[in-house]
Amino acid sequence: MANVDLKNLTKKYGDVIAVQNMDLNIPHNEFLVLVGPSGCGKSTTLRMIAGLEEITSGEIYIGDQLVNEKDPKDRNVSMVFQNYALYPHMTVKENLGFSLKIAKVDKKEIEQRVKEAVQILGLDELQKRKPSQLSGGQRQRVAMGRAIVRRPDAFLFDEPLSNLDAKLRTQMRTEIKKLHQKLQTTIIYVTHDQVEAMTLADRIIIMKDGYIEQIGSPIEVFNNPINVFVATFIGSPPMNILEAEIIKRDGKIYFELDQDVLMPCPESKASLLSQKNKVIIGIRSEDISPSNSNTSDEFWYFEKNIDLAEPLGTETQLFIKLKNKEIISRMYNPREIEIGEQINFAVNLNKIHIFDNETKKIIK
Amino acid sequence: MKQIKKIGFWFLVLFILLLVCLPGIWIFVSAFRPNPEILSKPANWIPDRWTIFEFTQMFSIKGYVSVPAFKYLMNSIIISFFSTIIAITIGMMGGYAFARFNFKGKNKIFLGLMLARAVPGISLSLPLFILFAKLGIINTSIGVIIVYVAMNVPFTIWLTDGFFRQIPKEMSEVARTDGCTRFQAFWNIELPLAGPGIGAAAIFAFLLSWNEYALASVLTRTIESKTLPIGMMDYLDEFTINWAGMCAIAVVMIVPAIIITFMVQKHLVSGLTFGGVKG
Ligand SMILES: Nc1ncnc2c1ncn2[C@@H]1O[C@H](COP(=O)(O)OP(=O)(O)OP(=O)(O)O)[C@@H](O)[C@H]1O
Ligand SMILES: [Mg+2]
Repeated sequence: MANVDLKNLTKKYGDVIAVQNMDLNIPHNEFLVLVGPSGCGKSTTLRMIAGLEEITSGEIYIGDQLVNEKDPKDRNVSMVFQNYALYPHMTVKENLGFSLKIAKVDKKEIEQRVKEAVQILGLDELQKRKPSQLSGGQRQRVAMGRAIVRRPDAFLFDEPLSNLDAKLRTQMRTEIKKLHQKLQTTIIYVTHDQVEAMTLADRIIIMKDGYIEQIGSPIEVFNNPINVFVATFIGSPPMNILEAEIIKRDGKIYFELDQDVLMPCPESKASLLSQKNKVIIGIRSEDISPSNSNTSDEFWYFEKNIDLAEPLGTETQLFIKLKNKEIISRMYNPREIEIGEQINFAVNLNKIHIFDNETKKIIK
Repeated sequence: MKQIKKIGFWFLVLFILLLVCLPGIWIFVSAFRPNPEILSKPANWIPDRWTIFEFTQMFSIKGYVSVPAFKYLMNSIIISFFSTIIAITIGMMGGYAFARFNFKGKNKIFLGLMLARAVPGISLSLPLFILFAKLGIINTSIGVIIVYVAMNVPFTIWLTDGFFRQIPKEMSEVARTDGCTRFQAFWNIELPLAGPGIGAAAIFAFLLSWNEYALASVLTRTIESKTLPIGMMDYLDEFTINWAGMCAIAVVMIVPAIIITFMVQKHLVSGLTFGGVKG
């Protein structure tokens, strides 16, 4: 039961900066998800909180206590690793009870708490087995059980599901969510998986090169990405990004997406662009969709030939080209599509994102 | 065709096996027959007359004592046992440090240790003799133990380092977030997992100490301190060699070594399961 606060946290490995001036307040019971490209410092952040990595500068507070100088064992956080790291020479039951045994908790209590964890995670039949006799999903469960048994102030998960197959991952994801609701504990969770991040998180942190790019609820970072990086990182397929010249005609502002393809600038944004010649336009694939009408004011319509169509069942992804860049559109009422077919597309003008072409930051 | 190949292969194996074992077999056979028969020409592979005369002599079950083999055996056991225990303890800690910690000059120190092993032991015998004589630990078990520890430590470090490296470091990290101190994590998790490797290192260290001759021959010259390999030379008289006695004491040397190897070997294989990690 504790909040976790990071103040100006920095970690350097020699010249390599793994985490840079990180400031973060994680309230009690929050489910925080860290995402970002490989090598951006997610694991390093977790490991510093756990006390496994010395910090270069800054402060870490767990439950308002400065823990910079504390050993991992005194921080009362539990970590679950990608490769589970179960103790191979111990049975499942011994694995679960190990932390309590070390803490010299009495046998009855250990028995009780292990039983609790076993029930929560459905490990009943496996208690006597060694880790080598378990499937991946079962090992994952034991690893979580081992973390639960301690009743830590915070859980740290480092890509805990990435070794599981897709189906099991979905199942475990739900279980982790339930677990969080049941345990009411702070969780810091690293993942590469978009869906995991969106479904689990109270807040998502997007990191890059050791910096925090954006923090916000899943909906917030999805709807209002503050720069091109976040815009393309969150969401699948990634947001369509186009460089566009600004063209002024009849007192109105247009974006030139391709030769003779002019998209009008929404009224609300026009005043922000008076100084600009060029911008970066971001449009999510669901905001470019095939349309039968072409009358609404909130939309802009254009026609284009289809390069490729990928039917996914619930939707079909249509690939077109603008300025030689591939653009993905989503068709929500799929029908058979022929390659080369000309289709009328509607772009939701209220949903386009306009970024500065130099700073790559959102213009608003 | 396949059959013939197979049979040929096994004959080859048998031949090589015989070649390797022949000296050993000869020693065993010769330990149980009188000296003249050993020297007979052509060689007589199956003794005409079996006897345990040399063994009864050595262990003075009756009458005259030829060579105080029991004393030598005890010296050998004490020296090998303690030098192994000490070397493996130091080696284990050293190996762990090399596998898990980063410190300045790590690679150079490691290289230095390996180079120390490359120095031929015999070249150290004279300096050691003088040093030990001055220190007053010549002809003592302690002296020999010190030398053997020094000889074995680099090797045990090298071997255990490799085994500790194979254990994912997450294992001890989880243990530490589970409430262990670094030492508790080592003791409860990494040490048991590295057990087979440490066992292997211990066997090698033990055998090296058990069989060592060159240095011991310089550093131990009394009945109170001689080890079995040195004791063997007691059968060398000015004009004669008691081959039967020598073979008998060799058997006394070989048998415990074989027994220990077999005992520990079973352990070695059973421990090598790393199921805790993905796979
Ligand atoms: N022990 C180390 N020595 C030197 N550099 C390191 C060390 N550990 C990590 N780094 C560097 O620190 C940076 C951050 O690493 P980190 O493991 O935190 O990335 P990550 O975000 O977890 O990546 P991934 O998604 O691939 O797990 C990387 O550039 C990495 O190369
Ligand atoms: Mg990582």
